[in-house]
Amino acid sequence: MEQIFSGLIQALYLLGAGDKEVYEVALLTIKVSGFATLLSVAIGVPIGLWLALKEFTGKRFFLSLINFGMGLPPVVVGLVVSLVLWRYGPLGMLGLMYSVWAMIIGQAVIASPIIAGLSFAALSGLNPKFRLQLLSLGATQWQANWLLIKEAKLGLLAAVMAGFGGVVSEVGASMMVGGNIKGQTRVLTTATVMEVGKGNYDIALALSFVLLIVVYGIVALLTYLQNSGGRDGL
Amino acid sequence: MRPVVLEIADIEVFRNKRKTLAIERLEVPAGEILAVIGPNGAGKSTLLQVINMHVAYTSGSMVLFGQDAGAVDKHILRRRCSMVFQETLLLNDTVYNNVALALRFRGLVEAEIKDKVNKALTNFHCAHLSSRLACKLSGGEAQRVCLARALVYEPELLLLDEPFASLDSPTRNALLTELRQVAVAHGTTVVLVSHSFNDILYFAERAVVLQDGRIVQDDTPEVILRRPVNVTIASLVGMDNILPCQVHKYDDGVYVQLINGVHFPWRGEEQSKTAFCCLPGDALSIVNEPLPYFKNPLVVTEGIVSQIVPGIGMYRIIVETKGMSLTLRVPREQVASKVSMGMPINIAFNPEEAQLV
Repeated sequence: MEQIFSGLIQALYLLGAGDKEVYEVALLTIKVSGFATLLSVAIGVPIGLWLALKEFTGKRFFLSLINFGMGLPPVVVGLVVSLVLWRYGPLGMLGLMYSVWAMIIGQAVIASPIIAGLSFAALSGLNPKFRLQLLSLGATQWQANWLLIKEAKLGLLAAVMAGFGGVVSEVGASMMVGGNIKGQTRVLTTATVMEVGKGNYDIALALSFVLLIVVYGIVALLTYLQNSGGRDGL
Repeated sequence: MRPVVLEIADIEVFRNKRKTLAIERLEVPAGEILAVIGPNGAGKSTLLQVINMHVAYTSGSMVLFGQDAGAVDKHILRRRCSMVFQETLLLNDTVYNNVALALRFRGLVEAEIKDKVNKALTNFHCAHLSSRLACKLSGGEAQRVCLARALVYEPELLLLDEPFASLDSPTRNALLTELRQVAVAHGTTVVLVSHSFNDILYFAERAVVLQDGRIVQDDTPEVILRRPVNVTIASLVGMDNILPCQVHKYDDGVYVQLINGVHFPWRGEEQSKTAFCCLPGDALSIVNEPLPYFKNPLVVTEGIVSQIVPGIGMYRIIVETKGMSLTLRVPREQVASKVSMGMPINIAFNPEEAQLV
């Protein structure tokens, strides 16, 4: 208990003292996970919308794949992405291995099914006649889809938070495709694992608390957006 | 002659390989207020969704505003229509923004939107709700807002899919009256789907009855009320007496025999599969003494009063007559202090009021 308490004090000290290395790692964590989440939203929300609106043969099978994807082990994702980005892999010519982009790709693979699955659930919760009502009022397909997304805002932002939470906390994929290179691909989770490996439990705890503070800050912001009005119509 | 807004010919709709709609012909002239009634699963909502182009038909044709709906951009035709569903389906936003929605879809400027929205809200007595959140409205208020939203851009064709089903009777009647006034004032063509025949009597000038996806009757509401074409429709319109009967042909004509032994001559059309005789409650009256047929064309039967249900203006009296129950609707003055439970009475009706189904 004492160790945890001292870790929290150290975390606050590191943040308060403006420790450059910690700030760099924390900033990179936000950048990588934030960008990966945005990418996942761009992929996941349209898939969720499409699944919620369309009936087609094999939809249940597709949904089971999405649901399966929501529980993808990050280590497996890391391994597969590594093999794809490896020098002799299918995308090896891009030279992305051990880069921030490799980490973003790995994290996006983890978060996209989470966001797609929860977006589907959020949009399926709307009355199916909602879209018909909007179209019958003269909305174009895009206008109707956008208003449906706005109407499911509560559930969709929950999906974004779940996606962000999933990637900001994972370590396996980031370690495998990023390599935990100091100043380049080191993020809070990989730095924590490294410090634990070195036996520096107090620094590991401090980094964990910094991670928790960062995650809480972003989730609190999303929660505020989730419950804000946004009543400008179109 | 009014131009035809909607023309449907030989349309068939299948869902899950089952035919849910088969309309041979339906024409709706401009400005007409048409009601569509039918039992559950008759295809009423499907018909509206076909008209609003949300459901595709596999064969036949639909001409909307003089244009073939299968050949023209759906979006263009849809913008000349409006549809109101049973559920209010308002956005999680203010009343103003909800009503303004359709105008914003059309790219109107804000000043024009404000003017039209205020006018529409005033028409449905909900201008005071303008800044309120839609989720804070009562059922009646929400439905008024829906009607304002549907009519704010003055559509040529208004499709109503049981919009008042969840409202209490006074609110329904008030909304129907207001809606009718607005529709008539703007010359809007209206197609109303409803379960309640009372709504239709209040609202429509013509009604079509759907059963198993087909139009089985197309007439004025009053004719459908008094002359339903089958027993399902008779039940649907609330026919007071649907009496099992047999039709016998004799040398001197055709006779209908009710299960209590009463028989009367039938001069109407002969039905091949007649099984029931429908009699509206107001076609039956209480007579003081039985009269022989040669003196009176009315059919007379005896019975015992088993129940008296008071009502405004008209009382409902249930009479047991030799194993058959008859419901009469008689003016209050004929009942008050004159008829009591268990009292034997004579009931008379004109055979021409009967409808065989």
